[in-house]
Amino acid sequence: MTRIALTLVLALAAPLCALAQYPDRPIKLIVPWPAGGDTDNIFRPFAPLLQKQLGQPVVIANVAGASGTRGAKEAKEAPADGYTLYAVHDYIHSTYYTGIADVQYTDFEPICLIASTPSVLTASPKTPWKDWQGLLADAKARPGQITVGATLGSTSHFFPALIEKAAGIKFKYVSYEGLAPRMNAILGGHVDLTDANLTQKAKVEAGELKFIAIATEKRHPEMPNVPTLKELGVNVVYDVNRGLMVPKGTPAAVIARLEAACGAAAREPAFAEAMRKQGTDVRFMDRATYAAWLRQNDELTRNLARDLGLLKR
Amino acid sequence: MFELLLDALQGMFAPKYLVPLAAGTLAGIVGGALPGVTITMTIIVVLPFTFGLDPLQGLAAMVGVYVGGSAGGLVTAILLGIPGTPSAIATTFDGHALARKGEPGRALWLGIWASFLGGLLGAVFLVGATGPLARFALQFGPWEFFSLFVLALSMVAGLVEASILKGLVAGMLGLVVTVIGNDPVMGQERLTFGIAFLRGGIDFLPVLIGVFAFSQVMQEVERMGGPAQAAARAQRALALAVSHAKVIWEIVSRPVRLVWFSFIGVLIGVLPAIGGSAASMFAWDQAKRLSRHPERFGTGTPEGIVASESANSANVGGSLVTIMAFGIPGDAVTAVMLGALTIHGIQSGPLFIAQNAALAYGIFAAYILAHPLMVAMLALGARAMLRVVSVPRAVLFPAVLVLCTVGAYALNNTMANVYVLLVFGVAGYAMVKAGFPLAPFILGVILGDQIEINLVRAIMTDANPWLFVTRPISGLLLAAALASFAAALWQHRRVQARAARAADF
Amino acid sequence: MLSKDGWAGLVVAATSLVFFALTLGLKQNPLVPIGPGFYPRIVLGLTAALGLALALADALRARRRTAAETPEPRAANYLAVGLQFALFGAYAGLMPLLGFRLATFAYVAAANALLDPPRGARGLARAALVGFATAAAAWLVFERYLLVLLPRGSWTGF
Repeated sequence: MTRIALTLVLALAAPLCALAQYPDRPIKLIVPWPAGGDTDNIFRPFAPLLQKQLGQPVVIANVAGASGTRGAKEAKEAPADGYTLYAVHDYIHSTYYTGIADVQYTDFEPICLIASTPSVLTASPKTPWKDWQGLLADAKARPGQITVGATLGSTSHFFPALIEKAAGIKFKYVSYEGLAPRMNAILGGHVDLTDANLTQKAKVEAGELKFIAIATEKRHPEMPNVPTLKELGVNVVYDVNRGLMVPKGTPAAVIARLEAACGAAAREPAFAEAMRKQGTDVRFMDRATYAAWLRQNDELTRNLARDLGLLKR
Repeated sequence: MFELLLDALQGMFAPKYLVPLAAGTLAGIVGGALPGVTITMTIIVVLPFTFGLDPLQGLAAMVGVYVGGSAGGLVTAILLGIPGTPSAIATTFDGHALARKGEPGRALWLGIWASFLGGLLGAVFLVGATGPLARFALQFGPWEFFSLFVLALSMVAGLVEASILKGLVAGMLGLVVTVIGNDPVMGQERLTFGIAFLRGGIDFLPVLIGVFAFSQVMQEVERMGGPAQAAARAQRALALAVSHAKVIWEIVSRPVRLVWFSFIGVLIGVLPAIGGSAASMFAWDQAKRLSRHPERFGTGTPEGIVASESANSANVGGSLVTIMAFGIPGDAVTAVMLGALTIHGIQSGPLFIAQNAALAYGIFAAYILAHPLMVAMLALGARAMLRVVSVPRAVLFPAVLVLCTVGAYALNNTMANVYVLLVFGVAGYAMVKAGFPLAPFILGVILGDQIEINLVRAIMTDANPWLFVTRPISGLLLAAALASFAAALWQHRRVQARAARAADF
Repeated sequence: MLSKDGWAGLVVAATSLVFFALTLGLKQNPLVPIGPGFYPRIVLGLTAALGLALALADALRARRRTAAETPEPRAANYLAVGLQFALFGAYAGLMPLLGFRLATFAYVAAANALLDPPRGARGLARAALVGFATAAAAWLVFERYLLVLLPRGSWTGF
């Protein structure tokens, strides 16, 4: 009995005695989307690999809500001690410029970029079109009547909006936040089109869904029979990129430790294998490259938002 | 399909799953047996533990709680005459009467075996119907979902015993809660009164936990210092030995009725928002009507116990069908289960069974296995269960509230949820004191965002508002909502008229 | 005179009307055909109407009601309830400052002492033990075993 009590006291007091050798306790990784979403699916296999490098548990905390901005705010306000990481993707730029959130990428210190998921324009099985030409002709004949399921103001809205602009057509947007509700709607034929990715490959092969075109530079090795938008004459290349950030003010030593761990984890073959299942390409950038890329991407998103008439700042 | 089920059943025997399942079943039985602790409360307390487990482990534990809880309620209902959970109310009518007539063992085991058999019949339905219903659910567009939610709300508001008006107000207040924060389409801030943490909106789980946990705990606190009723009586020695073969034969010798009562349970379970108490009450009423000796009901007839318990137990299977095929929680218990699924990244809905076959069949297996576990535990510990009733409240309540806090916090890893928990704890207690039913309120909070988003989606897809009526499924659902509302009004009028007549004499 | 129901109805109606007024200031987004205030206004309007109906029904019933119809049941211990709510409020408020472990220890010990007032040193020791055991068990199970991270205190870092 005394021994149990003593163990309990020690267990409770231990973190007080252990002096700072980062990391000395579990690390929280904020994913600003619900579990089971794309971002979650990408960071869930990444967390144990990062954990192996850091020697402390990396625990995913889904802080979902308000188009991912609730988690962003939570991460921004967390203590800058390296015990709170933030899983981010391109929405951080678009939600800022479309006026949905006050948080922007400059509120954080970038650590690394790890993955890039190409967008695929996907159609419901109940639509009559066989390919892009069919869709294009129909869209020209019925402007503003083909429905697209999208998270408004986020990447799944930007992608079809870019196609609209490049092809000179007009869609009608219906709000479906998250990939899973969009899939229910598109399989049931309640919307015609949506932005999906290669994770839906199995459904396409089973004939339950149609991939119209992929938004990569070249055809993707996973689905070589799906044409790129570029070769169809629609100049749109679009993907969603995911990386890690920490709150501004995190000590340089901690950032360096995290950057090294992230680099090693991203190079693991296990990560590549997990990403292949997510229809995602591993795309690693170190801190400096990522920071430069973020600046460039921010400018790009701002211009996009302005061109699409969504700019609020 | 059967291969999948067999595999899943085999998998469930691995200690990794068997332990959480057994622990959940035990927790359910104890929670169900404790008067003042409902299944909802038990599942709320179990919720934080499931965050750290793998999804199937967590769900096995929760299914165990659900099955164990529906059965646990009958122990106190029969032996003490106090329903451990609301769903055991109908069991007290005949169960306690029979126990007092000197046959507590027979009464108890009639209840347990009826619960077991009803549950297994529910399982047949669960395994057989989830797939086809899920395919049917794929046809549901925003119009159909909107109408389905309206039907659920109107049914639950009409079912309250007090006054329909108060039921409706409670349901609407639930919807008002979901309006606060931001709009679910563009995330635009609304009605936040400048409070920062409201900007993300209010999650339904902290509200549900707060409303249920605090209203129950505080109602008990209110009475503390008064005479302890149940605990004293529990110590009385009871002879529970009984011939199981005879009891089982008593139940299965009338197979048609058993199937019919279980079917009622399943059906009421499938309908969103109507819980076990309605199922057992309705089945008991049916049994009385079908019987050649309706006058024996309420005096300890075995049929009354069988009807109530088989329906109550089968009801659990029905509720599981609804969350697995439609992704809609039928009641507070399944709402918490849905929350647990979401935490683990599993989106319940029409695609659930196809995309997560292993998990879906794992849930079926857990549901089936929980029944023998429940019987074994009750066989070993029915008497001990009565002693549990006397756990010191001063230890139990703070611990329960700490677990609620952990559950609310860990949901989104934010303190905001804990504040929501407190605010709605106070609100829930105030509502109970003012005589407003909690069930419609909670359902309003659970469905509010979905009602709005489906309404907006429908209008964004096609501006024609008549589609809600002209699309066949949607139109039927709305008609059913109207009909159920009219039926509730008529029923209340009749009850009131009867009360008035009684008062005149 | 109105009863509890009537007043509740009036409060519900008044609150929903205030909320209703607040939704009028919401701006519509060009992407969505109906604004963010559309659905709230339906809900709040209906709620207000139902609240008024509740008050009205109560007022009509009041005429028929005879005095002293509902005797108050056994006096409830509202002081204890109030204290428990206040204590939980303090718990929620202090948790981000003290951290989960310290706050839980203090809360459970205090709640236990309030629910079952300790007599003498033994009673106090019991309350402290219950508090310590609950806090330690919760922390070990959740943070250490299940890896559910719990809040740390900004004052204590613990």
